[in-house]
Amino acid sequence: MKKILSIAFALGFMLCAVHIAIGQDRVLKGVVTAATDGLPMPGVTILDKSSKTGTTTNVDGEYSLSVSPNSVLVFSFIGFASQEITVGNRSELNVLLEEDASELSEVVVTALGITKDKETLGYSVTEVGGESLSAARENNIANSLAGRVAGLVVKGTNSGPGGTSKITLRGLPSISGTGSPLYVINGIPMDNTQRGSAGQWGGADSGDGIGNLSPDDIETMTVLKGQAASALYGSRASNGVILITTKKGAKGGDWSLNYTMNYIADNAVDFTDFQQEYGQGTGGIKPVTAADAQSTGRLARGPRLDGSSVIGYDGNQYPYSPTNDRYIDFYRTGSNFTNTVSVSKGLGADGSFRMSVSNLDSRSIVPNSGMDRLSINLNVDQNITDKLSVTAMVNYIDQKSTNVPNLSDGPKNPNNFLLLAPNISQSIFAPGYNTDTGAEAVFSDDIYVTNPYFIVNQGINDVGRKRTISAISTKYSFTKDIFAMIRLGNDASTDDFFSIDPYGLAYTANLQGNLNARGQSQRTELNIDGILGGKFDLTDKINLDLLAGANMRNNKFESVGVGGNRFVIPYLYSPFNVENFSRSYGFNEREVQSAYYSVGIGYNNILTLTTTGRYDVYSTLPTDNNSIFSPSVAAAFVFSELMNSSLLDFGKFRASYAVTSGEPFDAYQSTFYYNSANSYNGVPAGSSPTSLPNLNLKPFTTSEVELGFDLSFLKNRLTFDVAYYQKETHNEIMRAGYSITSGFNSAVVATGSTSNKGIEVLVSGTPVQTVNFMWKTSFNLSNVKNEILSTDPNNNPVNLGQNRATLGNAVTAYVVGEAGPQIRAYDYAYNTDGSIKVSEAGLPVRGELINMGTVLPTLYGGWNNEFNYKGIMFSFLIDYNYGNKVLSATEFYSTFRGLNQVTLEGRESGVINGGVTAPAERYYQALAQNITSTSVVDGDFIKLRQLTLGYSFPSKWFGNTPIMKGLSVSLVGRNIGFLMRKAKNIDPEASFGSNINYTGIEGQNLPSTRSFGFNLNFKLN
Amino acid sequence: MKKYITIILTGILLAVSSCDSDFEKINTDPNRAGGNVFDPNLILPTVSFNYGNMMTGYSGAILFQSMWVQLMASTSTGGANYYSNADKYLASGSTNSYIQSVWNDGFSAASRVYQMQALAEQKGLSNLVAVGEIWKVLTLSFVSDVYGDIPYSEALQAESGITQPKYDSQSELYMAMLSDLEGALTSINASGDQIKNDVLFRGDLTKWKKLGYSIMLRMAMRLVDVDPTTAKSYVQKAIAGGVFASPADEAVLVSDQANGYSNSSANALNVTDDVYEVRWSNKLIDYLKSNNDPRLSIIAEIPLAGLAANKGTAVGNNSPSAQIGLPNGYDLRGGATDITKAPNYPGSTGTSGDVSPIGKYSRPTAIYRDRDAPVFILTYAEIQFLLADAAARGYAVPSSASAYYAAGLEGAMTSIAKFGGGTISASEASAYASANPLDTSNATASLKMINTQIWATTGIFANFVEAWNNWKRSGYPELTPVNYSGNFSSGQIPRRQLYPASESTTNPVGLANGISSMGGDTWINNVWWDVDN
Repeated sequence: MKKILSIAFALGFMLCAVHIAIGQDRVLKGVVTAATDGLPMPGVTILDKSSKTGTTTNVDGEYSLSVSPNSVLVFSFIGFASQEITVGNRSELNVLLEEDASELSEVVVTALGITKDKETLGYSVTEVGGESLSAARENNIANSLAGRVAGLVVKGTNSGPGGTSKITLRGLPSISGTGSPLYVINGIPMDNTQRGSAGQWGGADSGDGIGNLSPDDIETMTVLKGQAASALYGSRASNGVILITTKKGAKGGDWSLNYTMNYIADNAVDFTDFQQEYGQGTGGIKPVTAADAQSTGRLARGPRLDGSSVIGYDGNQYPYSPTNDRYIDFYRTGSNFTNTVSVSKGLGADGSFRMSVSNLDSRSIVPNSGMDRLSINLNVDQNITDKLSVTAMVNYIDQKSTNVPNLSDGPKNPNNFLLLAPNISQSIFAPGYNTDTGAEAVFSDDIYVTNPYFIVNQGINDVGRKRTISAISTKYSFTKDIFAMIRLGNDASTDDFFSIDPYGLAYTANLQGNLNARGQSQRTELNIDGILGGKFDLTDKINLDLLAGANMRNNKFESVGVGGNRFVIPYLYSPFNVENFSRSYGFNEREVQSAYYSVGIGYNNILTLTTTGRYDVYSTLPTDNNSIFSPSVAAAFVFSELMNSSLLDFGKFRASYAVTSGEPFDAYQSTFYYNSANSYNGVPAGSSPTSLPNLNLKPFTTSEVELGFDLSFLKNRLTFDVAYYQKETHNEIMRAGYSITSGFNSAVVATGSTSNKGIEVLVSGTPVQTVNFMWKTSFNLSNVKNEILSTDPNNNPVNLGQNRATLGNAVTAYVVGEAGPQIRAYDYAYNTDGSIKVSEAGLPVRGELINMGTVLPTLYGGWNNEFNYKGIMFSFLIDYNYGNKVLSATEFYSTFRGLNQVTLEGRESGVINGGVTAPAERYYQALAQNITSTSVVDGDFIKLRQLTLGYSFPSKWFGNTPIMKGLSVSLVGRNIGFLMRKAKNIDPEASFGSNINYTGIEGQNLPSTRSFGFNLNFKLN
Repeated sequence: MKKYITIILTGILLAVSSCDSDFEKINTDPNRAGGNVFDPNLILPTVSFNYGNMMTGYSGAILFQSMWVQLMASTSTGGANYYSNADKYLASGSTNSYIQSVWNDGFSAASRVYQMQALAEQKGLSNLVAVGEIWKVLTLSFVSDVYGDIPYSEALQAESGITQPKYDSQSELYMAMLSDLEGALTSINASGDQIKNDVLFRGDLTKWKKLGYSIMLRMAMRLVDVDPTTAKSYVQKAIAGGVFASPADEAVLVSDQANGYSNSSANALNVTDDVYEVRWSNKLIDYLKSNNDPRLSIIAEIPLAGLAANKGTAVGNNSPSAQIGLPNGYDLRGGATDITKAPNYPGSTGTSGDVSPIGKYSRPTAIYRDRDAPVFILTYAEIQFLLADAAARGYAVPSSASAYYAAGLEGAMTSIAKFGGGTISASEASAYASANPLDTSNATASLKMINTQIWATTGIFANFVEAWNNWKRSGYPELTPVNYSGNFSSGQIPRRQLYPASESTTNPVGLANGISSMGGDTWINNVWWDVDN
């Protein structure tokens, strides 16, 4: 039984394992079987101690390896006792492996980094191996989880390298806007603060915390979806937890030196399907003056494109016919080049270390923009005495993003060629400025819509980050089963930022530009945990698993910056060169002190009951109401132990109930404060807050019931993991928008409440399994129903985001009784006969503000397939997403500006409604502006997310080389294409901001990319 | 085993007992102050700036009212298409945002006043409460004049639980504001608390009283058509209380751009495309020229020849005879409304490759681009003209319409020096006033002359919203609307701004009642006091 689980666990690794064997005297063959049942064992690791080469058994338990007579082979497998056998002159060696009673069957990392036997868990846990994240990599590793875990939705940002990734687990867990899972690295919570992000008024994405990690250092990512799984993390667990385990050296292992080279090229993809029949102009007339050519450059309301000549914004003549030099040609091929060297070694039998150095050189598709990242990772693990052991990890990251592009709104956004009329070439706007005066070449009717060439050539928006994540853990084992542990984790980052309005930028006063910000900020998260744990066998069949601990967490943020308006000397972007000067300083600090316990009672590996509890005290809450106790109970019942089915290998029923708690989104929300302002003509000045604090805050709670089962059939060839959950968050603390007429434009309220109900299904199987060919497949599906139960004290909709195009006339909002975030937009007004109501001029009349649907998918998942044919590995991942809507600025603008195909109807004859003919230009502009529901599109898609094709070269090839011992190669592709999408002109996944406020709002972001590349792994020792 | 359980329990106890010792300190913001130590007087400069900012620049005044009332004009073709909102009543990409600026700025300022008053009351600073009331009435009456019905009686009280205040009808809120203003003015006590941090009047309470009564006068005069009884009554009270007696009394707020308190209109007019595309209208230039107004050469110039010079700020030709105003409603698109098709088009300037088709039209001089230029909140000249208007209507006022008119002219002439540019001496001003007496042949003639002068004077002082309000009230000057294809106001000059979209979410019932009481939410429905003459 345990063996089967272990085999399942090992299969994944086996497939990707490097097949290495140094060309030696001869080939040794054999079969490894289990002593208990005599069945062959796939995935057994076989290591030649002398040559340091090895292999793994195939699905039939067979192996072959080049050996010399002196070879000593080590056969090992999780849950089984290792065996060492000297080869001698044998050509065949069959091995029986005995189960090791002391080893856990299938262990998974759970909360606090505690490994547990998976069969005792009363909740759902999903593990993703690092290798599936690193070959076809994303710069932000969180994006790589897309489609791989049931219940998990990833929303990346179209902002280039260094962009943010937002993960939501199980619906909309939190409505406060900070609903990101907690990331825990080697047991230590890490800071995942989202830095700058674009909103409807523009701004740039300065990245998040998870995006700093190097994929090459990650062993596994474990997703704790439910509250019971994450309950021990207390306050920040309400959005789920993702545990990251970094790679370590193996105790007792020899030198291992690896070099990985990864190259991924990104190509911008044009998803638009705009009309190509009518060109630039307005009222059916093409421009006749240069000024008008500038004004109408983004207005395809001219006459039919006829190949005649037309004046351009620069006064030159251009053909009045569709151009091949489209907006997408503004972008270059992006590239991501990673070089990683890692070295690991066992330090005798009692210790190990692994160190890696990785450099990522990422070139954005946006010219002159990119990112450099250096990661150094060190893991050390040492038994100091039999009882005392220490592990330490230091991860140093030095990341620098250059010219991070602004998104969404027009100013300084390099993505502004999208809406050019079909006859206009994008390249005529280069270099974007007058080379004599430096003045921006304004290319459109609005100086606040920056010429993309100008901003990529002249702009500066740099964000640097130096970050050290360190974790030290000391464990003292009183006995084999009782331990005490102290763990200390510190995550400290220093960001530096430098952002200007360059000299010559059209909308700056007298073209003098501005120094927006130059400065630094520091962020630290310190965690100290003390844990005592023990396992006790009360009887032969009943055992106890106890754990108690305490945690102190402190988060601090401090930033200092300078800025100024109007550079005196052109192009000298120094704070000493501005006409007036401003300064900024920010500080906040939060602390949580907690104590927790976990008690598990197991009966004969059949039934396990676990209860946990956590008591948190928050600094961010009023001192008389700042603590809360949150409990959980979970049960795991392995019913297959009571059956004797030849079909069912394993069956477990699990049930849990858990409560987690939460604190305000920031410090200082429960006190009324007044601030100081710059002196005004020497007179000191001050101000009062615009957001109403809440003096009566208390912790909010999330409670969840989860039921599920794990089933395994046909000797592990077919497995099911099914979960049903029902989750409610109450009294959530959030910022609610108030009418400014009330005196405050927002308020901190504690009335938010949301419910999520859902089903998650994971089916895995191995449909084909022969000696030479294997096909493994897994399919996951999630269905979630979210409902907002209450919002602000008036239960008004709480508006989240808008897009720049439709502004307040189409928004995302939390609406009571609807799934959140809901897109709300104006419908048509209708006559009593159901026809569309038009004005006297025949223009559509705005009707009711209606709920259009949620921005989060309600049915989603992925289908992953791996094929292995004689060492050639091929895999593909398809993911799908149904039930969500997108508020599309592209749709709005293309309708308003006559680019959308829909605007072809009635273009010359006029649009007739209710017997009235309206000029098409007026009609479609009124349509876009009045009937904002026409800018809402379906988000449904099926996407070919990833392809990999890999091969490990036989080790004999390297037999005589002094350095190289092994080589594996893979060709990879990411985001390859849609197999289905409903939205016509956009990538339904595209977004400019990953914040929940802007989830589901698209427009004026970077185009989505399709990526191809390769991964080379050299084993050097 | 007992031993280990004891260890575990001890550990938990140790952990829990160390909790929350310094949490109160951790949760205290080191950058901000609590009400116990904060002096509410500190809010005054911020409120003053907020008010000035609301009435200038992109907050609406330049992008709407300046050209609605045809003081300025723009072809709005090229990069600064957002001026189409003003010149042609034609929506641009950000119209939805522009319409909310006055609302948001006004209520934010009023909220600060309210917070200042609340603290002042706690600390027994009754004069500061009264000064706050003057600001509050000034600010919210401005907002109401732009939108119509707004929350007043229930406004600003979220702390007391009123988060969705009802919209009061303008007739009610005007009465309430006048009454609140009167109460505040009578409460001012010279021996009470000193007003500190006062950038407007340096704590001079007598000036605050004069400002308060001047506001009362202006508000009262808004009601001459809709409620003459109330108008007369409050005009009397204002005069009895004491309005501005000389330009030294007027509310002119200095700017301080070095510290971030710039003149917002100047901020706007320094943007290159605004420099190029914003011109004085022919309506204003023709008016000033026909009256030989000495202010013309101070406010208007013809830029140096050519496109580059037109986009630059080099000093142009300010000779009065050279000035030509740009007619409203034209563009640069080569069609029927191209500026070259305008009657008496003066031709372009510049040479091949550097041609400005609008180069011969007058633009505002450098004083309008000076970020340190003052904001003319309420001037002596305006008050004198309003008194002249009252006199012409036969209201019981101490002096004659022509005397008030002459005093107003003199004030308008001399105060232009406050811009920091060209000046007109007292004697010149007085001579000009004598040479251009009020037409007293009949009341209509007088009112037309007085109110056209208010329009020109408030326009020159860059108080475009006031010029527009007075035009709504008086009907002068008589303006011919632009009727550009696709405009948002059915070819009429807009008479109000639309309510912000956000209100439909944050205060749906209030908004619905407001719209219903207003008879709709359009650009052309009248506010209560704007009665068609």
